[in-house]
Amino acid sequence: MRIAVCLKQVPSTNEVRLDPETHTILRDGRQSVVNPFDAHALEEAVRLKESLGGHVTAISMGIPAAETLLRDAVARGADEGVLLTDRAFAGADTLATSYTLAAGLRKAGPFDLILCGKMAVDGDTAQIGPELAQQLGLPHLTEVCEITPVGEGRARVRRLTQRGGQEVEVTLPAVLTLVREINTPRMPTLAGVRRGEAASIVRWGLAELGVDESRCGLKGSPTQVVRTFVPVRARETAFLSGDARSQAEQLLKIAGEVLA
Amino acid sequence: MSGLIIDRARCVGCGRCISACPAGALVLEEGTALVDRGLCTLCARCVDSCPVGAIAVERGSAGAADGWRGVWVFAQQEGGRPLPVALELLSRGRQLADALGEPLCAVAAGGGEGLTRPLLEQGADLVYLCPALSGDHRAEPAWPELLARLTAEHRPAVLLFGATPFGRSLAPRLAARLGTGLTADCTELDIDPDSRCLLQTRPAFGGNLMATIVCPDHRPQMATVRPGVLPVSPPCPRPGARVVRVEPPALPAPLTRVLGEWTADPSAAGLAGAEVIVTVGRGIGVRKNLALARRLAGLLGARLGCSRPLVEAGWLPYDHQVGQTGVSVAPKLLLAFGVSGAVQHLAGIAGAEHIIAVNTDPEAPIFSVAHEAVVGDCVEILREMIGILEEKTK
Amino acid sequence: MEDRIRRLTAEDEAYLRDESHTVGAAEYIAFPRTEEEVRGVLRRAYEAGLPVTLQGGRTGISAGCVPHGGLVVSLTRMNRAEGMRRLEDGRYSVLVQPGVVLSELGKWVESKRLDTRGWDGESLAAYAEFCRGGEFFFSPDPTERSACVGGMAACNASGALSYRYGPVRDHVLALRAVLMDGRTVALRRGERFARGLVFELPCEDGSLLRGRLPGYAMPSTKNTSGYYCREDMDLLDLFIGSDGTLVALTQLELALLPSPAFQWCVNCYFPAEGQAIGFVKTVRDAAEKAAAIEYFDGDALDILRRQRAENPAFASLPPVPDGAAAAVCVELHDDERSRIQARLFRLGEQLRAAGGREEDTQVARTAADVAALKFFRHAVPESVNMLIAQRKKQDPVITKLGTDMAVPDGKLDEVVELYRRGLAEYGLESAVWGHAGNNHLHVNILPRNGEDYRRGKQLYARWARAVTEMGGAVSSEHAVGKSKADFLEIMYGPAHIAEMRALKRVFDPRGLLGRDNLFAFEKEGE
Repeated sequence: MRIAVCLKQVPSTNEVRLDPETHTILRDGRQSVVNPFDAHALEEAVRLKESLGGHVTAISMGIPAAETLLRDAVARGADEGVLLTDRAFAGADTLATSYTLAAGLRKAGPFDLILCGKMAVDGDTAQIGPELAQQLGLPHLTEVCEITPVGEGRARVRRLTQRGGQEVEVTLPAVLTLVREINTPRMPTLAGVRRGEAASIVRWGLAELGVDESRCGLKGSPTQVVRTFVPVRARETAFLSGDARSQAEQLLKIAGEVLA
Repeated sequence: MSGLIIDRARCVGCGRCISACPAGALVLEEGTALVDRGLCTLCARCVDSCPVGAIAVERGSAGAADGWRGVWVFAQQEGGRPLPVALELLSRGRQLADALGEPLCAVAAGGGEGLTRPLLEQGADLVYLCPALSGDHRAEPAWPELLARLTAEHRPAVLLFGATPFGRSLAPRLAARLGTGLTADCTELDIDPDSRCLLQTRPAFGGNLMATIVCPDHRPQMATVRPGVLPVSPPCPRPGARVVRVEPPALPAPLTRVLGEWTADPSAAGLAGAEVIVTVGRGIGVRKNLALARRLAGLLGARLGCSRPLVEAGWLPYDHQVGQTGVSVAPKLLLAFGVSGAVQHLAGIAGAEHIIAVNTDPEAPIFSVAHEAVVGDCVEILREMIGILEEKTK
Repeated sequence: MEDRIRRLTAEDEAYLRDESHTVGAAEYIAFPRTEEEVRGVLRRAYEAGLPVTLQGGRTGISAGCVPHGGLVVSLTRMNRAEGMRRLEDGRYSVLVQPGVVLSELGKWVESKRLDTRGWDGESLAAYAEFCRGGEFFFSPDPTERSACVGGMAACNASGALSYRYGPVRDHVLALRAVLMDGRTVALRRGERFARGLVFELPCEDGSLLRGRLPGYAMPSTKNTSGYYCREDMDLLDLFIGSDGTLVALTQLELALLPSPAFQWCVNCYFPAEGQAIGFVKTVRDAAEKAAAIEYFDGDALDILRRQRAENPAFASLPPVPDGAAAAVCVELHDDERSRIQARLFRLGEQLRAAGGREEDTQVARTAADVAALKFFRHAVPESVNMLIAQRKKQDPVITKLGTDMAVPDGKLDEVVELYRRGLAEYGLESAVWGHAGNNHLHVNILPRNGEDYRRGKQLYARWARAVTEMGGAVSSEHAVGKSKADFLEIMYGPAHIAEMRALKRVFDPRGLLGRDNLFAFEKEGE
């Protein structure tokens, strides 16, 4: 079974720090990490490989430094790492990202399974999986919590829904986005770390992928951010007043905003 | 020319953009900031960090948006009735359509009167109904087909989805198919009066930052909207509103097939990865009040946890215990009812992003970590919250 | 003020206990919020002749905050950061009240979000600079993160990282404290010293405290056994590790260290204890000092294996490889990736030479993995506590018997041999883990019944003698409190205990504060 895992490098924290005096945004100097959801996708790929045999390709679109993340993926059991990196890929929204990733997967493939985390913690969009599937013309399933290949180019998949879950049979190749409940990612061993550091990471840019530059990066992104602002939030505990009914209403309103 | 632009005349060389840049793409040269385009990822963090507004991200402009009219809402249903989020979307959709002077349409499937009437009452000018399709997960592969066809025929300017698991699976598939932009999980929608573009505001960086996003040159402008955020307006049926029946799409053999469904086991705590958690402590008084907490958790899509005394009293099994000796949790939202907040319990909820606490004791330590607090009878508040949510879903 | 002291009721039962699981007694309780309130509360107790027991997070395991009558003063509501300083070397310090919880402090420092209300201009300016600059951390890391910093200072707490960065003592730059009679002292490190063993310490009201330090020589190990005393010492050090018997700490200025850019943890497994101990010694000799060297014996690993399999709360533990009978966790801190990588690979060579396998060695290089290995480290004591709690239900006399003794470098093999011989001879169940880098292992005797418990205590006392003979300390990070007072006497002998009593009288002539900590209270003429 040939499996691809899409990995994204994200900041290690979503904290937004403000300068206490100027109130401008400060960015902390912490390292980038693999999107935690993607770690579960990698683990699932490696487990499938271990039980069925096969080959796991870790692929990422990002800056050259994202190579570290692919070496780490090899340390955790991936067989190879592919980095899609080019100035022209910068500033991509989900449409442009899925376009570029799809091109990388076509070139690195074919694959029987393409696994993604449910979403990236820095963007929270959960859009790459389905958009990627559309770009590749493959079926997709989101919120996957269990994968059982059943042979004959099919897999049985359990996924979470609002009410509970469902079991779906899907024809491979397919794109699956995984929830964190699916597994507990392993830690690399020291032997794995040595393999990761020794691995040669494939790097493909615009030319190697042969993609349409106007569909990549900023140029290929229909959406654009016109404004960012820090939500006004009380720092100290806000004690709500009013009768029980109005307190309950306030709490539900706040709950809605928090979960937004 | 697209890319990061630094107005060197304006730049004061303060260096804030350099510490803001995660890619190390900015340097100071001759007292002003300079960008290395090879390293810049156009994340625009520097734009926000600049105190003098000297940095901008510029982009080229492409196709036109002419000829696309109307605001469309995908009305997801369950059991033959629209989900609350569909009514929330129609309420805001009505305002957007009015701002544009264009019609508001709902697209729905399955169901009958019970589905279309609330949509019409909520201000839809037109409901496209595909009776032959089911309006949920089971028909997932057919939906992009149907919506792509309707979009091509009727060219709506705006297409909105509830950010339910179904909506968040369907909308991006469709967006990629239409080659247009999609903004996930919006909390606010508006029309920019000058450009007539949809202003889509959503939380970024785990809610630590809000971003307003537009899709200027592609149509339709697509967004998913988090359920429960936008208010539902009073009913405002439109004169002449009607339902148009549409045929289901012809599909090749589907590549996915639902074999079975299950409903979640309500007894398992499942706290570890939960996004929303309701916790209860001794303050709920008697055991039967657990049912209230369970009900609220159900309505909020939350998991139920508790403090140590309730487990010791045998009211809930150990896997519900939150705290240092139980499960450490990191939900987006934690609602604590009658939990006093012993240090060990607080350690277990330290990862919660937002905490709401209700307790009779104004000195309860839980309040020291709560963002919002109610000093009062938690059972009463539980009842009120349940009442409000149940009214809303009726 | 008076309403801060109230009668202790049945609902306050928790304030009679700590994690030693011994239960004390008290009539009153108070939750002061400010130093002024602490002064009021202590002065009233002083006038009424009421014994006072200071409390923080009640996470201690030596019963130091278990009250023996009188008034409990919980400092948990004094939980604010009161300011910040920028130090000359570019580091920062934070001024905190004693009730600040360690995990909260960690969160504040890491997220750089501090509640700056009421701060002075210097603090606000330092805070602004702090926010703009790099990352910092407070290094003392006792396993129990719900400890309060006041308690940590009172017992000179340590943790795994103390191997590299030292105990709490090394990070306290200044403090404020209140005496039983309400007088206050303020001390800054490097400003006031003893002359020989004689000291004079001015209170803020101008009065002078004069006294003489005990004349014992402290062991050259990690140590928190009795008062810190040496000739010409900085007087600030007297209050750190004084077990709540001299003063109530009301403010601590704690130094923050720059966070290393890379923090990697490595779990190394071995088929035999001797191999692991050999590896510890090799790692200790490395040119760049590891941040932590922790040890877990085969019994501890078995407990983890069971927990992981049976308890869902522990399912995410990294697996313990089959055949592993000892583990050494090494934490590396470095600012250069290439350097830390070279150190990691060198560690690999050392572990292979010692009999380990790189295929079994878990390497945490990301925050999530590091958290998983720290969970591993913390799950051992946690699991043992759960086990003991179960057994206690059958026989209430049972509690965990955990040693806290360190010996000098060079005595590690000898002390391991001592423990193994004793455990075998007494036929006791145990789990051993701890800070092997500092020759500081916690031997946890797990009594199966009352008889085991009794014999375990005997064995413990025997070890205290032997460790003292090796030049070690009977308590190295948990402090003496009430439960280890006997061992302190074994370690220093009655004459030095009498010197300690005399020292205490300088600060607390009526013997009211922290009664029965360090040594049993003896009614003496005032």
